[in-house]
Amino acid sequence: MSVRAPVSGLDTLHPHAPVQVEGGEARIGGSAWKLAAYVFLENRLAVAGLVVVVVMFLFCFAGPLVWRVDLVHTDIANLTQPPGSGHPLGTDIVGKDVLGQLMVGGQTSLEIGITAAILATTFGVLWGAIAGFAGGWLDGLMMRIVDSLLAIPTLFLLLVLAAMFVTSVPMLIVIVALVAWLVPARLIRGETLSLRTREYVDAVRVMGGSGARIVLRHIIPNTIGTIMVNATFQVADAILLVAALSYLGLGVPPPATNWGDMLSDGVAYTYAGYWWLIYPAGIAIVVTVVAFNLIGDAMRDAFEVRLQKR
Amino acid sequence: MRISGLRVLAAVGLMALALAACGNNPTTQQKLSGGTATWAEAPNAKPNYIFPLASGGFFSVANLSQFQFLMYRPLYWFGENGTVKLNSNLSLAKDPVYTDGGKTVTITLKGWKWSDGQPITSRDVEFWMNLLKANVGHWAAYVAKEFPDNVIGMKFPDSMTSVFTLDKAYGSLFFNYNELSQISPLPQHVWDKTSASGAVGDFDRDPTQAAAVYKYLDGESKSVGTYDSNPLWQIADGPWKLKSMTTDGHVAMVPNTGYSGPVKPTIAEFDEQPYTTDTAEFNVIHTAGIDYGYIPTQDLDQRGSLTKYTFAPWIGWQITYMQINFGNAVNGSLYKQLYMRQAMQHLVDQDGYIKNIFKGFAYPDYGPVPIKPASNFASPFEKSNPYPFDVNAATKLLKDNGWTVNAGGVSTCSNPGSGAGKCGDGVNSGAKASFKLEYASGTLAVKQEMEALKSDFSKAGLEINLTEAPFDTVITDAFGGSNVADMDNWGGGWIFAPDYYPTGDEIFSTGAGSNGGAYSNSTNDTNTDATTTSNDVKALYTYQDFLAKDLPVIWIPVADSVLALVKKTLHGWDPQDPILQLYPENWYFTAS
Repeated sequence: MSVRAPVSGLDTLHPHAPVQVEGGEARIGGSAWKLAAYVFLENRLAVAGLVVVVVMFLFCFAGPLVWRVDLVHTDIANLTQPPGSGHPLGTDIVGKDVLGQLMVGGQTSLEIGITAAILATTFGVLWGAIAGFAGGWLDGLMMRIVDSLLAIPTLFLLLVLAAMFVTSVPMLIVIVALVAWLVPARLIRGETLSLRTREYVDAVRVMGGSGARIVLRHIIPNTIGTIMVNATFQVADAILLVAALSYLGLGVPPPATNWGDMLSDGVAYTYAGYWWLIYPAGIAIVVTVVAFNLIGDAMRDAFEVRLQKR
Repeated sequence: MRISGLRVLAAVGLMALALAACGNNPTTQQKLSGGTATWAEAPNAKPNYIFPLASGGFFSVANLSQFQFLMYRPLYWFGENGTVKLNSNLSLAKDPVYTDGGKTVTITLKGWKWSDGQPITSRDVEFWMNLLKANVGHWAAYVAKEFPDNVIGMKFPDSMTSVFTLDKAYGSLFFNYNELSQISPLPQHVWDKTSASGAVGDFDRDPTQAAAVYKYLDGESKSVGTYDSNPLWQIADGPWKLKSMTTDGHVAMVPNTGYSGPVKPTIAEFDEQPYTTDTAEFNVIHTAGIDYGYIPTQDLDQRGSLTKYTFAPWIGWQITYMQINFGNAVNGSLYKQLYMRQAMQHLVDQDGYIKNIFKGFAYPDYGPVPIKPASNFASPFEKSNPYPFDVNAATKLLKDNGWTVNAGGVSTCSNPGSGAGKCGDGVNSGAKASFKLEYASGTLAVKQEMEALKSDFSKAGLEINLTEAPFDTVITDAFGGSNVADMDNWGGGWIFAPDYYPTGDEIFSTGAGSNGGAYSNSTNDTNTDATTTSNDVKALYTYQDFLAKDLPVIWIPVADSVLALVKKTLHGWDPQDPILQLYPENWYFTAS
């Protein structure tokens, strides 16, 4: 038996706000964070997504400690071998173990995805909050920059950037973050336009609080729901973007790899029917991206006040 | 006479076989006139330069043999029945005549015409020579003291005759195959101007003005998107004229109805199609969307299922290597050490790459002269593999010369200085054996080979940092004269065209236009000079044996140039030219 969330109208930004209990329902006490966690955990798909992400992290980062194979040297005498003893998922185009490659490739994909998401979200949030709070010509200027960059097709921008610089893990993080910060900037700017008129912002002003203090201590914390949800989606998007870039030959140089690189190499053997070069990496990308999206969906429910009562 | 039932069956069977044989023989099939033949460009190797006087970044098979030559014929054509030889029938001039002990050569044109009806005259030969002499620094095939420096006098006694006075007597083999072969008469009556709106004049006869003419034509040639609308490029003397071309490499050509040569096109259009990867090209092959394409190495097992195509491996007259830049600001001093180059060569597992990556459709390269197609030009020593794959030998070479070998990591120089047991001049203490290798993208086999090579190099602590780039980018970097370029592999090595006699003077002589790695060795220069004045193959042996030992580059296997797939309805393409030239004017379709 599950217990439904009994509250509505809870201001997630004020953990100590009174919780209103609807008639006949049990009250779940505690903070808004607990409530959000409760709503999140109520979503079975989200829990499944969370489990998948945790398993994927363990697979990628702890797996190599258990499955020890040489992923530095090629073994061209055994390239593109089908699954069999010693290589449960076969060997790749230069004879490396596909299972091992899947683990280290996943490390790269997750590292890039998460780091790029953090970078993009951080920068986008600051940009949007400053623009929204400042208003006037500065807001206009900052948001026209965002609009201009948004008008350029993402993949085109990525390809140009990737072609300009020698690709590496740090460089891919920066490249992906450079195109990913625009969405959170717009979202946070929109929320800031609303938040800056709140009474508690006026109160800070009256008490002599600076603009920076208002933005950093009051406005941004009050957009945490939007930030968290967007950041989650950003991870999924970043993994997909890196996979797309790698598929187009702009991935990380060997012996490093990522799932997109693996997929790109494997697709060349489509006609040969070497499924083990395509399915493992493809499935890993799909499963991970879907998992992050499920988590993001559930977080939106958890942080969105109107959706908390269901 | 009674015929047994068995005999009847046998007779019927024989008749059926005979009919089937007739059906496969194009000579007995209905030869169709017209049609569009499509041909697949190599991955990421689209033509991008039309002016037949190319600098290093544009001196490629894609630009010359498979694009310019279709429209602009060289003075002398090489390639006949699948062999590398002077083809008098297709040349614009009669065979050259040497007099004065070999110091004077007379060239007599046949009187063929440009597409606008004007005759090809000695003035057009002079125009090319004047442009070349005034702009040798821009010419990829330039070698100091060789062509055109060695032409110390030119006379054009009449409209069909050119007489060159040479600085010394050259071997006719060298001078025909490597010097006169480079000349491409240009339509002086249309191109001799310095701007689009300027009038045509005799500007080429003044070196300063000749430079301006070159600058104008070079600039127009770099504007790929305007080729089909630019009046300059509408005048041709080859069997084909440009119909349209896009910057992404789509080329459409139509027959030049004014072509004077003996073989006129019968197909209505010849199209070249670009692909970014061999996989993309193979996808189209599966839909039978290309008449003349190729199969990627990784898909060779599929060739039996492509029933509409004939599989025809195409071996080029070429060598393949990774260029190392002796002028690199960081690693140049390392490349200058012979032991380092020897160690690198010991780490190239040519047999392994050929067997496992190229699936046997490649052959080893141990020196500067092609081993295939078979000829007497390759010496026994070069074929002997002077530096076989041997990680221990490579490691020993490094240790014996002052390096601390860090297998799997990066080796460092721990005993700097010159002399025995030391790292050598210019190599500082702590110098790292870390190199950047840029290779051409688009061909999976090349990628596999480079990753395998990186792995093998690491076994002796030589770190290779790989980067992929399109073919055009790699050759621009490789031949750009930069001190940043390190190691480059554009995937195709060097095909000896239009320097058909494989003396290597254009790629390994000091200061040569296509010596992108800035290799310089006086012994090699002397040896090379000897190959230019003698028709004796021993001179070529001396030259190649030295370079097989001295390693101006790192030799890697020569893959078959094209693993061609040709539609069974397309004929006239066989034999394939080892110089990788195209002859679509010979092609025709049959109904089945």
